Amino acid sequence: MKETPTVKSVSGVEVPSLLTVSPAPHIHHPDSTRTIMLDVIFALVPAAVWGAYVFGLRVLLVILTCVGSAVLAEALTQKLLRRPVTIADCSAALTGFLLALNLPVTVPLWMCVLGAAFAIIVVKQLFGGIGKNFVNPALAARVFLFSWPTEMTFFTAPTQRFGLFDFSVLADGVDVVSTATPLSALKAGAMPDVSLFDMIFGEVGGCIGEVSSILLIAGGIYLLVRRVITWHIPAAYIGTVAVITFFFPQGGSSTAFMLAEIFSGGLLLGAFFMATDYTTSPVTPIGRLVYGVGCGLLTVLIRYFGGYPEGVSFSILMMNTLVWYLDRYMRPRWFGGGKNGRK
Amino acid sequence: MAYTFRGGSHVAEHKHTRRQQIEKMDPPARVSIPLSQHIGAHAKPLVAVGDYVWRGQMIGDVEDGLGCPVHASVSGKVTALELRTNVAGTQSVHIVIESDGQMALDPLILPHEKKLSETTAEEIIDIVRRAGIVGMGGAAFPTYAKIRSAIGKAERLIVNCAECEPYITANHRLLLENPAGVINGVKILLKALGVRHADIAVEDNKLDAINKLETMLADSKLMGIKVLKTKYPQGDERQLIYALTGRELPAGKLPADVGCVVFNAETCAAVFAAFAYGMPSIERIITVDGDCVANPKNLLVPIGTSCLDVIDACGGLRCPPQKVIFGGPMMGAAQWDIETPVIKGTSAILAFSAEKVKPSKLPEVCLHCGRCVQNCPMHLMPNYLVQYAMQGDLAEAEAFGALACVGCGTCSYNCPGNMQIVQYIRVAKGTIMAKRQAEKSRALAQDKSE
Repeated sequence: MKETPTVKSVSGVEVPSLLTVSPAPHIHHPDSTRTIMLDVIFALVPAAVWGAYVFGLRVLLVILTCVGSAVLAEALTQKLLRRPVTIADCSAALTGFLLALNLPVTVPLWMCVLGAAFAIIVVKQLFGGIGKNFVNPALAARVFLFSWPTEMTFFTAPTQRFGLFDFSVLADGVDVVSTATPLSALKAGAMPDVSLFDMIFGEVGGCIGEVSSILLIAGGIYLLVRRVITWHIPAAYIGTVAVITFFFPQGGSSTAFMLAEIFSGGLLLGAFFMATDYTTSPVTPIGRLVYGVGCGLLTVLIRYFGGYPEGVSFSILMMNTLVWYLDRYMRPRWFGGGKNGRK
Repeated sequence: MAYTFRGGSHVAEHKHTRRQQIEKMDPPARVSIPLSQHIGAHAKPLVAVGDYVWRGQMIGDVEDGLGCPVHASVSGKVTALELRTNVAGTQSVHIVIESDGQMALDPLILPHEKKLSETTAEEIIDIVRRAGIVGMGGAAFPTYAKIRSAIGKAERLIVNCAECEPYITANHRLLLENPAGVINGVKILLKALGVRHADIAVEDNKLDAINKLETMLADSKLMGIKVLKTKYPQGDERQLIYALTGRELPAGKLPADVGCVVFNAETCAAVFAAFAYGMPSIERIITVDGDCVANPKNLLVPIGTSCLDVIDACGGLRCPPQKVIFGGPMMGAAQWDIETPVIKGTSAILAFSAEKVKPSKLPEVCLHCGRCVQNCPMHLMPNYLVQYAMQGDLAEAEAFGALACVGCGTCSYNCPGNMQIVQYIRVAKGTIMAKRQAEKSRALAQDKSE
């Protein structure tokens, strides 16, 4: 290469003899992994705050434990595997947050730590880190924690609040009484004994983050407006559940049963925040619709015929494993492509 | 309703220079004119060191094959024929001319002596060729060759004034300040092609230019205005043709194959200048912008002027640049040498500071978010293409359409994981093409030996 002497502009500013060369494009959209993860966390905060209001401040303890363990697990694994430490992208924090929102308030703290570590180490990092996991880490961890079914299905009444420093509720929990969630009533073929209004606003038993339907919908709309997610998956998912439960109700009137199915359990949390997880959902519009319909179908089937009243986590995990096929066989037709879309 | 296409993104426009009138640059002390400014054969020099050249004198020509003559953009003495790197990063011979400051025009430059109605297509093609006119939108394809290949095939002429790249306002200013040149150029091209109607396509962020053209054209039967939605890459030929006609131009085909021909607005004005005054392509409008430039503006610059001279004509640099880009920020080429000469295809010079082009500290990751898929104007799946390209799985990359990629960079622009998507696809595409070429020549060699 020719040696170029430094040159000066008329304004006296010196120009480096070799400028930076890089391939186009030279500008970038302001969104990054970090802004997207922060958007999702932000969208979930109202539902979490509501959870703390109905179940008590112990909710914050559960969230902090899950988030802290997830971030710590990510940093430690990455150090150990000699990978760059990427906790700044906030994705581990989001995984921990989602896990916490999928747990009952009474969950022992060691289970939070265990679940978060499982999500990050086994499901995420061992498969290659962010973008490489084939199932949703938070959901996989939740299902893993079902190894302790009593703790995972111990739902308390919304009025029974736990304080910030109630470290282990169940161990010394003489007064702790479990309650039936709307879903378990539906499972038994009866309409839940709470009003639809309570289900929408979240005065019901359930996991920390799943009770307030209206705040979850608000968060979902925020994500849609910020273009973090597209409408395809939530619409197809909730729509499928709505259609099936409307035409094949298991009790009560069609409409009442359908609304109870939609506004109870983890459907909204799942449809807006879990099924839309980038890494484990398809990228094409048609693929996303098929995936959403699949999630809805499996959810209703599990709720109707499964051994457990809720099917959201399981159905999303099952559909996660099909993403590669949905992507590959629902490819868009190329611009200028022939009839079959290719070549 | 504005015309548009599916895919693409609205990129922050940064058209700061939209109200800056085109200024004529003072003659530079020296120009360095490359004999290769586009695809096709390099021109052969027609002058030797020590010769005096007029402004507008032909100093290089191509004898056969695809190529275009080049002309002196200043009057003065040829001081060197030097080998240096051009904008595209390849080596070619440059003719260096020391200006005498006179800008004395070649006395042989005369208007075409016949009226347009009496001029044949061949004559127009000859005028365009001798004037060395190439596509001024960036690709710099020789215009005479484009006209020739489109005669009889194209029944729609589209004037591309989308200017979808951020920062650039050169075409916008041209439409405002010399609409007659563009319109007359289009008339000449219509005549050469035997086409009856032309569409001038302008993005809806240039409403003042649209209004101006509308009043000038009134109810002209020869041409009309088509308003495009402002979206990148609307100025890409494929997306432009699709937006206006609904026809899809497949990879590897020319616009003429779907009955269209597309010319950049400044190219049209150059065609008119060549026809009306005999003026060859020796200067062009360049948008000079970027946070390092003291006074961003639109300049009329002689071809071969060094980039630094152009920036100095805009008050010089405000701070040391990290990246200097020839063309727009989405598809332009970063230069390592700030003295790289301007060529016929240079629509903008952008100088950015280190602050502005700071690379992200986070590692490249694919989140599988699908933004590249949603925004790809060719409706490909860049997320899979980039993975196959990184793995070197060329067969799969081809199956996912690597060869259909136009390299617009919308995927890389949108990627939140900071993946260099288009860059990897470009590598895969190049490797596939090279492999095909090698196979072809091997087959040819085998045929010969048998």
